[in-house]
This record gives sequence, C-alpha cells and structure tokens, in this order.
Amino acid sequence: MREFTQPEQVSLTINNEPRTVVAYPGETLLYTLRGDSLGLTGAKPGCENGDCGACTVLVDGVPVKSCLVLTAEVEDHHITTVEGLREAPIQKAFLDHMAFQCGYCTSGFLMLGHALSQHVDRADEGRRTEWLRSNICRCTSYQEIADAVTETCSSLE
Amino acid sequence: MNIIGTSVPRKEAPNKVTGRARYTNDINVPGTFHAVMVPAHQAHAQIVSIDVDEAKKVPGVKAIITGDDVSILCGDVTEDRPPLAKDKVRYWGEPIALVVARNEAAARRAASLIKGRYKSLPVVNSIADALDKKAPLVHEKNGSYTVATPPVTPKKSSNIADEANVTKGDMDKAWKASDVKVKVHISLPQIDHAAMEPRIAKAEILADGRVLIHASTQAPFEVQKLLAKYFKLNPGQINVTAPLVGGAFGGKAGVQLEVLAYLASKAVDGQMVKIVNTREDDLATSPLGMGLEADIALGASKDGRIQAADMRFFMDIGAYTDSAPRIARAIAAQCTGPYAVANVHTDVYCVYTNHTYTTAWRGFGHMPMTFAVERAMDELAEALKMDPMDLRELNAIRPDDITPTKARLTRSNLGDLPKALTHMRQLIGWNGGRVEAVAEGKVRVQGVAAFWKTSSSPPNAVSGALITMNSDGSVNLSIGAVECGPGTKTTAAQILAEKLRIPLDRVFIHEDVNTQVDPEHWKTVASLSTYMVGRAVLDAANDLITQLMALAAAVLKCSPDDLDYGDEKIFVRDDPSIYLDFKDLALGYKYKEGDSIGGQLMGRGKFMIRHLNLLDQHTGHGRPGPAWTVGVQAVEVEYDQNTHQYRLLKAATVMDAGKVLNPAIASGQVMGGMNMGLGVASREGIFYDTEGRFLNHQFRLYKVMRMGEQPKQYLVEFIETPQVDSAYGARPIGEHAVLAIGAALANALSRAANVSLNTLPITPETIWRERRAH
Amino acid sequence: MLPFDIEYYRPDTIEEAVKLYRRLRENNQEPVFYGGGTELLTRARLQDVHYDAVIDLKNIPEVRIHGQKGDWLEFGAGLRLTDLADQNLWPLLTATADRIADHTTRGQITLGGNLLSTIPYREISLPFLLMDEAEALIATDNGIERRPMADLTSDSFIKPGEFLVSVRVNGGEAKGVAYRSHKMTRQDWIDYPLVTVAVIKRPDGSIRAAFSGWAGFPFVSSEVNRILSDTSRSPRRRAQQAVSHMPVKALEDLHGRREYREFVTEYTLAQILDELEDD
Ligand SMILES: Cc1cc2nc3c(=O)[nH]c(=O)nc-3n(C[C@H](O)[C@H](O)[C@H](O)COP(=O)(O)OP(=O)(O)OC[C@H]3O[C@@H](n4cnc5c(N)ncnc54)[C@H](O)[C@@H]3O)c2cc1C
Ligand code: FES
Ligand code: FES
Repeated sequence: MREFTQPEQVSLTINNEPRTVVAYPGETLLYTLRGDSLGLTGAKPGCENGDCGACTVLVDGVPVKSCLVLTAEVEDHHITTVEGLREAPIQKAFLDHMAFQCGYCTSGFLMLGHALSQHVDRADEGRRTEWLRSNICRCTSYQEIADAVTETCSSLE
Repeated sequence: MNIIGTSVPRKEAPNKVTGRARYTNDINVPGTFHAVMVPAHQAHAQIVSIDVDEAKKVPGVKAIITGDDVSILCGDVTEDRPPLAKDKVRYWGEPIALVVARNEAAARRAASLIKGRYKSLPVVNSIADALDKKAPLVHEKNGSYTVATPPVTPKKSSNIADEANVTKGDMDKAWKASDVKVKVHISLPQIDHAAMEPRIAKAEILADGRVLIHASTQAPFEVQKLLAKYFKLNPGQINVTAPLVGGAFGGKAGVQLEVLAYLASKAVDGQMVKIVNTREDDLATSPLGMGLEADIALGASKDGRIQAADMRFFMDIGAYTDSAPRIARAIAAQCTGPYAVANVHTDVYCVYTNHTYTTAWRGFGHMPMTFAVERAMDELAEALKMDPMDLRELNAIRPDDITPTKARLTRSNLGDLPKALTHMRQLIGWNGGRVEAVAEGKVRVQGVAAFWKTSSSPPNAVSGALITMNSDGSVNLSIGAVECGPGTKTTAAQILAEKLRIPLDRVFIHEDVNTQVDPEHWKTVASLSTYMVGRAVLDAANDLITQLMALAAAVLKCSPDDLDYGDEKIFVRDDPSIYLDFKDLALGYKYKEGDSIGGQLMGRGKFMIRHLNLLDQHTGHGRPGPAWTVGVQAVEVEYDQNTHQYRLLKAATVMDAGKVLNPAIASGQVMGGMNMGLGVASREGIFYDTEGRFLNHQFRLYKVMRMGEQPKQYLVEFIETPQVDSAYGARPIGEHAVLAIGAALANALSRAANVSLNTLPITPETIWRERRAH
Repeated sequence: MLPFDIEYYRPDTIEEAVKLYRRLRENNQEPVFYGGGTELLTRARLQDVHYDAVIDLKNIPEVRIHGQKGDWLEFGAGLRLTDLADQNLWPLLTATADRIADHTTRGQITLGGNLLSTIPYREISLPFLLMDEAEALIATDNGIERRPMADLTSDSFIKPGEFLVSVRVNGGEAKGVAYRSHKMTRQDWIDYPLVTVAVIKRPDGSIRAAFSGWAGFPFVSSEVNRILSDTSRSPRRRAQQAVSHMPVKALEDLHGRREYREFVTEYTLAQILDELEDD
C-alpha cells in the first residue's frame, strides 16, 4: 500500500526526465507542476474545477486536467507538459493557423491536439471535436484551433 | 516595405506555443504572501459583525482586514464602492474581509472561518424592483458621493445612479407624423467577460516607499493614478507592471484587486502579496457586463424612412457605478444605431441593483444597445413589409449626416455602411429574409443586423511611443498599451517597421508594460490602441528619422534635405552610393580618428485625440469619439419547429476596417468576436435566485461556446475606406464583431419561430416559452 | 489545490482498504474512498466537504475488473468512463457514458465515483437501473456483499466504511435489448442534463425507461414503464401519459423550468419510442 501522509519527495517523470519534488499529499498535479521547484507554468489555472482545460497535460499520453488529479496519483507515470513539446507538428500548425490570441488556453489545446495527432486511429473529425470540446477558448472562434488540429492529424495519416 | 497589410504572426507567438509566454501568475517571487477575499453570502444586508477570531488562529495567517479598517471609496466616476464592504453588503459575493497569510491554503482555510452576521434587507433583484416607488435603496447616500470624473447625474433617494439624455429634432411631432410605428421591449441579463486568465494582482511596498504592482490589467496607468489618489501617494512612487494578459474584454479595465493587494501588502509591512481570483470570484465578486432593459419606439414614413426614435435604456449596473456613466453616454451618443434619424429622444439610466457590479464589456455598452435597436429595426421591416436589408440600406447613416449628439460625419470619420450592406448581400447570399423549409419540421433562415461604434474615450486620453536604437541599427519600441490578445504590440511594431522601412524582425518590442519605463497610454480599451498608439509610433518614427538624417547630414557634410533612407541606410538621394548604415549612427557616429558625435538615437512620439468633448448635460450634444467604425453582420440558422433547437450554419461580418493592417489577425479578431457574440446570444447570462444569490459562478453553469458549437462557416470581409487621420488609414476593429451578431441571430430566429425574441440568451426554452405565451 | 491537509493512501487489496478505513476512523480521522477525485477535489477546494484522508481504490485489482465472466458483464468501480467506451462491452453503457462531462474529464471520472456521486445526476447509473439482473459488489467488514443496483439511491445501498468494488449485469439481458440513451441539455453539448433518458425495449416488446436530471436523483418507475409499454397507444400519446405519471415532479432550476423539462422529456420519449418501434 502506498502511504503518503505528509510532505515528501515524489518521483515523477516529466517530459522524459526523471524529477523529484517535495509535494504535499493533497497537492494537485497542476500545483506541483507550476510550483517554484519545477516552474512548469505552461499549464494554466483557469477554473481549477475541471471545466476549462487550460491545465491539460498528458499522463502516459492521455490528456488529463491537472487540476483534477493529485500528484500522488501520477507518481511513476510519464507526464508531458507543453514545455516538453519540442517542435511538435501541432505547435507549427497553431502558429500557421493563428490558433490563439491571448494564448492563455493554448497550452491546454496544444496538449489535446498533440495527443490526438499521436493516435491517428483516434483522429476522425467527430473524435477530434469530442476531445477539443473539453477545453474553453474565449478569444478565437475555435475554427482556427480545429483547422490546426485537423491539419496536424491529417498530415500524419 | 509591405509590412502593413500582411499577415505577420504575433511577435510573441513562439512563446505562446511553447508555454514560455508568461502571465502575471507565472512570475512569482518565493516568499510571496497570499491574500484571499471572503465573499458575502447575502445580496443585501446590514453587517452586524464580522467574526474573525477563529480565522486569526490559523497558523500562517498574518493579517485580516475588514471594511472597518479601510476608509476609502473607489470608483473612476462616482466614488461609491468600498474595497471591502462596510456597514452594508450590496451584492452576493461582495468581499467583506481579506485574509493575508504565508500561503494560499492557510489563507483559504482562514477565510472559510470568517463569518459575517447580517441583518437581511429586501433585495433589489431587477430593474423593475429598483424603479419601484417603494424600492429599498441600494445606496442611501446616492447623490452625495464624491464625483471623480463628471459628468454624472444621480437622483437622490432613488436607485438611479446616473441619467444621460440626448435630444435631436422634435421627437413628438415626428412620432405623430409617422405612418408606421413599432415598439419593442428588450430584456438582457448581465453577462461575464469570462477571460480565461482569472484576474490577479500583486503588490509590494519597498523600504524606499516605492509601490510595485504586478497585475493582469488593461489599464496600468489608471491603476497607478487611482492608487496614488486613494492612498495619497505620489504617482511616481507607484510602478505598475502588466505582463501578457490572458484575455480581458473590458473586464480588466476596472481597478479592483490592485487596491486590495495594496491594502494587503500594507498590512504585512509591505511584503509582496498576491491576490488571485478563483473562477468563482472572477464571476461573482469581480465586475460583470451590464444587463439591460430597453423600450425602443421607431416611427417611419410609408417608404421606410425612419422619422422618429424614442428610447429608454435601463442599465442593470449592479451594486456600484464603476464606468456605467461613461457607458450610458456612449449608448446615448450612438442610440440610433448606424442610421440617420432626424428626431430622437433618448434617456439612459444607470440603475443600482443588488447584483454584482459591472464595468466595461467588449463594445462598451454598444452590444446590448445594438441588440435593442436592431430588434426594433427588424420589427419595423416586418411592419413595413420590407426586406430588412433594404430597410437598413435606406436609412444607413452617410457622410454629412449628423449623429444623435450632432457630431458631423465625414467620409473619413465614418465607415461606408451602404457598401458593407451591398457586400453582405453577396457574402451570405441574402435571400430577403425568407423562411425556407428544408426538411420535415425544419426551416432555414437568415438574419441581419448592423452596428456602429465610436470610442467614447475621455477628451484628454493620451498615448506615446519611445524608440531606442541598438548597436546593430535595429530598434526597440516601447509603448504603454497592454497585450491581451488582439496583437496590439505586433501591430505597433508593424507600423514602425513600415515607417522605418526595415524588416519586422528588426523591431523589438517587450510584451509587458511598465508604467515607469513605457510612455503613458490611457487604457488598452475601446479598440483605440491601433489608432492612438499608431499615431504615436509614427510621431516617434519621424522624430527618429529626423535625428538619423541630422546626424548623417553632419557626417556626410550635406543638408538633411539631400538625404533619404531605406535598407537600414541613410543615403544621398541622388547618389545612393554615398550612405551611412543605421548601425553607424545608432549609438552616435565614430569618426576614423575615434572622436564621436551624436550619442544614442531615440525617437519620441505622442498623440492625443483632437476635438473631442464631453456631451452637454442638457441636450447631450457633443463629439464622443474620433470616428465611427461601421459594419453589418448576418447569420444563417437551421431551426427545428418542433423542438426549437437550432444550428448555426453561417456567421458573416462585413466591416469597414479603413485599412487592414494584418489580415490574419484582423479576421481572427472578427471570427473570435462573432463566436463570443453568438455565445452571449445563445447561452450566456447570470442567474440570480429570488434572494439575489449568484447561482452560476462556475463554467459548469455559466456556459460559453465550446468547440463544435461554433457556426459551420465563418465569413469575413473587410472593406477599406480610409480614416485619413489614422496610421495608414486603419479604423478600430477590435471589439466590433460582437456588436450585432446576437441581434442578427435573434432576428433570424424571430422570423423562423414567428415570435418576437427580445430577451437573451435565446435557448430552445426561450423560444418555447415565447411561443406558448403567444 | 486543497486548502486543508490530507493523507493519501493507495491500498492494494480490498481487505487493506476496508481495514484502513476502520483504522483511520478509530483515529478520529475522516477518511473518504477516492475514485477519480473529480468531485472530491473540486468540492474540497470550495470547502464544502472536509476529509482528512483519501483512500484511492484504483490500485485494487478487483476494482479494475472489466470483462465478461460467465453470464456476467463485470465493471470495476475504478474504471474510467473512457475505459467503458473504449472497450464497449455494453453499447448502452457506452452510449450513456459518452455523454457525461467532457472527454478529458471522462478519462478521470470513475464508474464508482459517478454512481455514488453527491450531485443529483449520476447519469452512468441509468443503464444499470434498467436491468433485472444488475448487482453491486460491495466491500464490507464482512467481506463482499451483493446488493441489487435497483437500490442504488436508497440509504441502505452503501454504508460508511463500505465501498463499491464492481457492478455486474447479466450479459444476455444487457445485450438482448434494443436501446437508446439521449441526453438533453439546456443548450450546450457539455452540460448537466435537463433530462437524460435511457430506454430499452426488451425481447418481449416491453419498454423501460430511466431518467436523470428530472429529479434530484436518477430513477425508474414501473408505472411509467407500464405506460410506455402499452403499444395500443401511439408513441406520442404514451410519452404524454408517461410524463404526466412520473413518480416525482420535475425539477425547476437554471437548466430549465418544470414545464419545459416536461416538454423536452415528452418529445424525447416520443422520438425514442418511434425509433424503437422501427427497430
Ligand atoms: C467538468 C465536469 C463535468 C461533469 N459533468 C457531469 C455530467 O454531465 N453528468 C454527470 O453525471 N456528472 C458530471 N460531473 C460530475 C461527476 O459526476 C463527478 O465529479 C464524478 O461522477 C465523480 O467521479 P469520480 O470518480 O471522480 O469520484 P470521486 O470524486 O473520487 O468521488 C465521488 C464520490 O463518490 C465516492 N466514491 C468514489 N468511488 C467510490 C467507490 N468505489 N466506493 C464508494 N464510494 C466511492 C467518493 O467517496 C465521493 O463521495 C462532471 C464533473 C466534472 C469535473
Ligand atoms: S484549471 Fe483545470 S480545467 Fe480549468
Ligand atoms: S486564445 Fe485567449 S482564451 Fe484562447
């Protein structure tokens, strides 16, 4: 049984790099990532209620709202944040389609788009829309984002 | 150079796709204290006591502040809002106390232990409640508050915080003479800005007396001025930094958290304190966009010419005034929509209620105002049996017409609405507004609406630009406008690159604003940044060019008049082989012998809008803004007559942009604006229960558009009628795409469902209810 | 971020979990069983629940069970809603699961957490409520107990200290029906239900319907089922009758007024009946 009763060192694999960080048992992943020691502020708090998706990261390749998961739950899992995307096609597509304005929602949408593009079998249009509905963007029309994700997924097909 | 008119990416775009773009909450100093607000769970009540004893015992809590500890009242027009409720609570969610602690968890725990004891008062829960003769007063002192920026005309012993009127011609006579008359009553709820970045402020008071503020704000210079005023500080002492802003939409133009952050810092010996809204705070505690009730009467002659407009607008401003009086005047000034109406009588009232207070919302009152006018226009078209597009074209305002406030319109200061209407017919494939059956129980229908807007800025609004040169001849541009999404910084850089005839990547612009470093810019609102900053940038560029020429002339032993520039060189016009590189002049010119002249070259530029004035208190006459952007919007929807559900098929905008500086950014702005406007029209609105409790202060229940709900197709077209006094002729376009699209939707659905849909949001239930009442 | 301190435990066996709960209680702690955490974390942030310890059940093999065993289709309480959809063992369950929350969140919400949620909807319960043979395996101090899913909303279904291990339905029954699951919302695709209706047509032609969103809890009604099964009347007529014979009044809230809920429920039922008639 894993017992985690007070702040302690936790091992995480973040963006393919083993990291250790002191966390509280009640810390959400969003909080740990953004904290001073990791400083991965790409994931954003927009609601901390599971509604907006600005905090989305990948856990073992699957999108997760990091405000809805405890760091304790993802020990020994692979976490990918926007900082871990290195020249991923989705980033270029977002630039090409100007799929953002203020940029606050962008990390979350990028993670969804990236996850979709890693799994071509998942990436038909209905599926793409269904995934992308998980997040909110207040600036764009969504069309730009849809176009960027579509392009990334289809160029990989 | 052809940098103007090309779709260059945003300067900060690479940072935004790598998580490297930093917003206020991403830049933290270890050891920062946290402040948390305690919201009232009463909408209208006398505060009997606030018990903070338990909260004080929470380890890590450093200070607790309540309204009794604060003597100031805030408000940029009427000073009626205590930063923390004092004596009385006026809206559900109003902060009654502020806890400052070493960390956020302690502050939140303590906050939850603070209990207000109240004596409930009857709740003013609607405009009707507020206007009732026996209505309880939201502000007993209404009419006696200090007015910071007149004009404002509160009515004592009432809930009317302000009134603005406009009269033109002889309304009564024209009304009687009109052949066809329509009256509509409009009712719109309050809405939220719902920027994805919640509002946040940090404050620190240094030992030397300087006050450092970091905030997600559209108005860093306003924060500086107001803090100086409220706390009797020297403005120079206050240094406000605004990093990248994660969406604003007017909601970050007000000053709220900055004051609390300052108070919190002061309570802990000037330590750095951060206050960041939860989404719940951002909705219920920080200001919203106003609600509106309006009665619009239009009279026209048989041929469709509008003769008379008689209008009452009642704004649900919530519990405090904030910028409502300015918005009221903006509504009054543009009350007819973009139509020439000779006889007008309009009254606009700012009404206090026990709802969350309100501030500017994208479009500064023009969106709800346009909804009212454009619904009336469609009702008029119906009464006249006229094509709604034809009616708008017939009455479209044109150069040489005068506005309701008697400002004279010219080809430069007014966009070309008739042309926009013509283009829209093409763009959407206008079918005259017919309801077309497409399948069993399903119809397809189009709706149209038009808008106009000017800036309604104060007549003394300023902007500036500073250019410094780097050793390699590239330039740094410094402006006071904040980057909250529309590409303000990029546009400024484009204007400068174009003017200096250098590539865009030779212009460096920092993404934040620092009031101590950057020249003052009034506020990043009213879509004015391109106009004001653009002019200031041109001014600065000219200044720099003059200096480059002067220095080059000295070195080349000629007159500056003999010189021209390009390719990062100053050269002799008739013999370009004689030249100096920018880089050889940037930090002064060094002769071969080593002696040098000039020093670093810096361009200074400034701008102030000319010829604006405050509207006359009695007639309402005056010139509210430099120019009017116009446009027309249309939708096509498919409506199910049985379930009343509908799908958005097309959303279209034709706008007169004067000159499109960056086509991709411009159409992104317009598409995003349509999406937002359609979201407002189809699902958004604050719900209060009968006790005035705010029910939907989360995105779980305050619904905004999501992927897949946007129209199947967006159509955007710009026409270009230059505004001659603007940089490259560009007109403000940032806010405008929200203005009429909701009205277009309501117009379409009203026809499809054969009822008048004059309330928002239009959900299937709204239509179902109206049809049943029919 | 939780504003109070908690302890986190991830037991590996059912026994460990049950004992742990008891031990923590004896220590005067307030433990909770933790599924996806989507509700526990968000409510704790707002401080409208308080607990000192979470017992994360997801590492217990029985809680992750997912498959067909003999006649039974078995679903571990710790499965995510997306797991249910990805394996698609029971298409009706998939259809209902796929309309709860949003896709990312469905990857976090567990079957057990949704069934035992404190919010009124608990939409994932609907398919189970429609089955004759649907039972819950509940870990208690006395070992695993089997309780009918029909009792889901009664207080006796699960008691403090007990947790849901898995749910199972008779595979023959579950797959031998025609079904529809329709979620109706105020306006948005992602929203709580105005009403969610899951309907089956059994091999004998009888109809059953389960509702979420209509009231403060999900339910089925034998009276409503009887009306819906009466093929002597038109689908529209049956739907009308059903709506006027619901066991509780429809909610009136910001998703919709009572009468509007009735209207939507009626046309949704009518449409489903129409479709099932043709199936
Ligand atoms: C963005 C969002 C949208 C949502 N939309 C919907 C929606 O449309 N429809 C809907 O029905 N719900 C919706 N929900 C709410 C959702 O139902 C709950 O948050 C979710 O069901 C809780 O599941 P969980 O696995 O995360 O449970 P947890 O948060 O872990 O637990 C919830 C409750 O169940 C208990 N519990 C969990 N597992 C067990 C077990 N195995 N045995 C005993 N007790 C257990 C916990 O102690 C707790 O009391 C939404 C939630 C979010 C975040
Ligand atoms: S911050 Fe996690 S979903 Fe909004
Ligand atoms: S770009 Fe601003 S919220 Fe999406």
